[in-house]
Amino acid sequence: MENDKLMKNISTILTDDQINTDPEELYDAAADRYKKYAKARKVLDVPVPLAIVYPKSTEEVARLLAFCNENQINVIPRSGKTATEGGLENWKEQTIVIDALHLDKIIKIDEYNMQATVQAGVALQTLEDELNKVGLTTGHSPQSKPVAKYGGLVATRSIGQFSTLYGGIEDMVAGLECVFPDGHVSRIKNVSRRAGGPDIRHIAIGNEGTLCYITEVTVKVYRYFPDNNKFYGYLTEDIETGLKVLREVMVNGYRPSVARVYSEEDARQHFFHFYKGKCVLLFMAEGNKGIVEATSRGIEEAVDKFNEGIIEEVPSELIENWFVNLNWSQQDIDDEFEGMIENDSHDGFTTEISADWETIPKIYHNAIERIRKEYNRVHDLTMLGGHSSHSYINGTNMYFVYNYSINCAPEDEMRVYHHPLQKIIVEETLKLGGSMCHHHGIGKFRNEWSKDEHGTAFYMLEKLKKAFDPNGIMNFGTIYYQEEGAKYQK
Amino acid sequence: MKIICFVKLVPDVENFKYDYERNVLVRENVHQILNPEDCSALSVALKLKQENIDVQVETLTMGPEGCRPHLEDLIKRGVDRSILISDKSYVGSDTYVTSRIISRYLEREAFDWIFSGTHSIDGGTAHVPSQVAECLNIPQMGNILRINQAGLFSDRVRTEVDSEDAVLQFEIERPAILSFQYSTKIKLPYIKYEDLERDVSGQLEIVSNSRLRFCDTETGIAGSPTKVSQVEVDSFGRKDTRFLKCDDEGIEEVYQFLKQRGIVCS
Amino acid sequence: MKKVLIYIDPQAVKDSIDLLEAAEQIYGAGESLSYGIVPGTPPADVFGVFDKLISVSPDRAEGFDAAYIADSIEKLHRDFQFDAVLIPATVFGRMIAPRAAMRLQTGLVADVTEIRHHDEEIVMVRPAFSGRMLAGIVNRGGAPVMMSVRQNIFSYAGPRTKKTEEINFNPEPFRKPGIRYISSQPKPQDEDIRESNVLVSGGDGVTRYFDQLNELAEVLNGSVSASRKVVDRGAAPRHIQVGQSGKIVNPSLYIALGISGSIQHVVGIKNAENIIAVNPDRQAPICSLSNIVVEADAREFIPRIIKRIRKGEYK
Repeated sequence: MENDKLMKNISTILTDDQINTDPEELYDAAADRYKKYAKARKVLDVPVPLAIVYPKSTEEVARLLAFCNENQINVIPRSGKTATEGGLENWKEQTIVIDALHLDKIIKIDEYNMQATVQAGVALQTLEDELNKVGLTTGHSPQSKPVAKYGGLVATRSIGQFSTLYGGIEDMVAGLECVFPDGHVSRIKNVSRRAGGPDIRHIAIGNEGTLCYITEVTVKVYRYFPDNNKFYGYLTEDIETGLKVLREVMVNGYRPSVARVYSEEDARQHFFHFYKGKCVLLFMAEGNKGIVEATSRGIEEAVDKFNEGIIEEVPSELIENWFVNLNWSQQDIDDEFEGMIENDSHDGFTTEISADWETIPKIYHNAIERIRKEYNRVHDLTMLGGHSSHSYINGTNMYFVYNYSINCAPEDEMRVYHHPLQKIIVEETLKLGGSMCHHHGIGKFRNEWSKDEHGTAFYMLEKLKKAFDPNGIMNFGTIYYQEEGAKYQK
Repeated sequence: MKIICFVKLVPDVENFKYDYERNVLVRENVHQILNPEDCSALSVALKLKQENIDVQVETLTMGPEGCRPHLEDLIKRGVDRSILISDKSYVGSDTYVTSRIISRYLEREAFDWIFSGTHSIDGGTAHVPSQVAECLNIPQMGNILRINQAGLFSDRVRTEVDSEDAVLQFEIERPAILSFQYSTKIKLPYIKYEDLERDVSGQLEIVSNSRLRFCDTETGIAGSPTKVSQVEVDSFGRKDTRFLKCDDEGIEEVYQFLKQRGIVCS
Repeated sequence: MKKVLIYIDPQAVKDSIDLLEAAEQIYGAGESLSYGIVPGTPPADVFGVFDKLISVSPDRAEGFDAAYIADSIEKLHRDFQFDAVLIPATVFGRMIAPRAAMRLQTGLVADVTEIRHHDEEIVMVRPAFSGRMLAGIVNRGGAPVMMSVRQNIFSYAGPRTKKTEEINFNPEPFRKPGIRYISSQPKPQDEDIRESNVLVSGGDGVTRYFDQLNELAEVLNGSVSASRKVVDRGAAPRHIQVGQSGKIVNPSLYIALGISGSIQHVVGIKNAENIIAVNPDRQAPICSLSNIVVEADAREFIPRIIKRIRKGEYK
């Protein structure tokens, strides 16, 4: 279909003010934070979408999807725009971005049944603020909290800083509503638990806009006891000591809301005023008084058990102060953008992986060593390190963090720096059986390893795509590798 | 016309590490950068080369072989030839010896101008350009803000120099060493993607003592007339931070500090 | 009696006289004979403070020709055999000193800020790595001990009633000058905070009275800069923002008023040589990087320090 005709058809579904074709906004919609630097420097190599549209109801979403499905038009679902892995990047000449801007209602806060229902475009912070007023919390706090919205959070299997206590978003979603490309609307009801066949919530949660458009979500909510929060910080000899303490706390059954260890290099970025060139281990105990007390004891015992690797304790107000300032705001994001224009540099990149307790330190060291040995721009690296920030009884994650002097043209930055670094980290992770994507999603730039990530189970993912999106209109290139998109990847 | 640019690799102040047990600066695995003022000077030379086909730009560096990747990058950015003076016996040379080593190399080189930064961000002595000029018996000028580029093609070039409280203009005769100040207005060109993997090893030359022929007692720590005898370091911040109240005593101490650092006149 | 030669920079006469104090710290009060070398006509101030005075060729532009001064120093050293040569670390002093050291074949220590004595040796202390390191350096090469000395560190308070003896100095013609002085223009006001020597910077804590920073910047002959939060609130323009998303600055003094010091801000001042933080919270990250922390509200600090500086000037 010709572009003109296409737009005309869209305007029969929506009113004019729901269709945005402002060139600057379209440019902005062509990529996400993955190509943030090229974007800031105005050298993006991908096509811009034809329009950003703002449906006001599930029905409008259904009509839009059905229209695009019939006419083979690529659709990118988006809400808070904080994607980091290319999930919102556009690889097709004919693309419509469906933005959840007007799906912005908090439908219900149910204090008795401890759940809240929101539309996809409700910002996490908005719900959190509402809940706080009645002594509740979402329990969800990714760094993008002030900006991210529920549709995106659920579609990308987001996780927050308090995950050790509350879990990831998948542990919070009770039910949801989503629209498939053929216009079918599915409602997954909100129940406490059921054995009704496979848990179909997980077809929508984490689909990254490749199977359906999430329009509404019901999440569990939790009692909020901010006054009880207790913070702990320690300097440790090495990252292994920190990981051992994290494991000890977890396997003893304690659930601090925050449990992290930072490598020296990464610690410098956050704790330069007290880290003294060492690794930093930190905890936050949260919840009911009794639970906080027990958790605090559990942390102290674990630290005590490995005290030969602990150098000193850090005053807890330093940890608390840091924590209060951790989240980005929209202003931070805009500001980094300005900085990228001004200074030929950015805040760095990350790759987040996960594995069991035994394997995590091996992956960490193998990857770092391989980068130092093999990466051809190693002399440009200004920092390379990582931290573990989400622990489970059977393992933890590793957030590799790196930055570099950019000595190539802005449009080449990803293929010269981030992508080869990420490749090494992903390969080292998959080699030892870990997961290459702990919580950012696969997006478009890790899709070349989707098959390796899932192995024989990739069969199931492929079948899902065929079943729900047979015309392949949903977020072309995300999760599923596409030869056609390879030119934008490397 | 041939311009030789001095380029020093320095530890990034941000990533500066100190081994408290051995009491030495850690140099292994520490990120090195090109000294920013040297980059400004080299940027001027490369821009000139881009605009004039008959300009040849070479870099001259003294340092460990680990500098190689950075120098190869410079070639990929447009430098014609890169010289690395490197020899184990040169390690620990002070500025006096360093200048003599560099001068001995330059004695046999033809050039019209030498460009350099004025200071380096590590030692920051600003000795080497002046001392090399002395050894070669040619003029040198530091703190250069701007030059009249056309002059470079004649026998004398006009320069603007940032002095204590004025901008001074000088004419400098060729050949000379022109030492620039850091400038935010000019940057090194990018390395083109297709050049990243280009083999430029043929344009990089390592000059060792087998060519310069100093004897052991003339270079390194042994040959240096100055010696570091005491070092105090605080790489993570200051240990000597003074906490003051905003009373007469505190204000007086701040005032004395400003005076001491030459910020206010007494 | 030790003999000390001091270069008198015509552009910084007071700083040059102050080196007499450095000489006294090296050899003890009254233990050395001071020789001043000055290009052109000697300024009145130097009479009475130096023991001897040598003026060199008035027809070669005022000490701008470092090679010429270096040759003169060498010749004088041959005649008088100095124990030490001290040169103020001014723009031109720093070009003269290395050349003279090369002529005298002696080691040179740059930018000395302190003199120490250790096992009979003179230890010259200088900062490196933007003030993160202090190095004590000795000269092993024998005479003369040579250094350039940071301005305003030493202050001469000795007698000004000496009978200064002028020494006639008419050397054989030296090298032909390769440098010709043309003209001098006043320095333009720094528009770019990256070029300022002193930055008075305001953060969150001063948003509401950001204007007050201008006066302090003025008395310190510096510029005003701001942290991101202030710029975000519209209290300061974007082009004066310091930090990762603003400008990376390298002043010799950074005064952080009401700035807590997030890593993004600190990245922008990593090359600042001296930092004074004014902050009621001594745990604020910026404090760990500061030479001085004034534990107070900036609004209280600003008028008091301005008053003190003004008083100092007119004393």
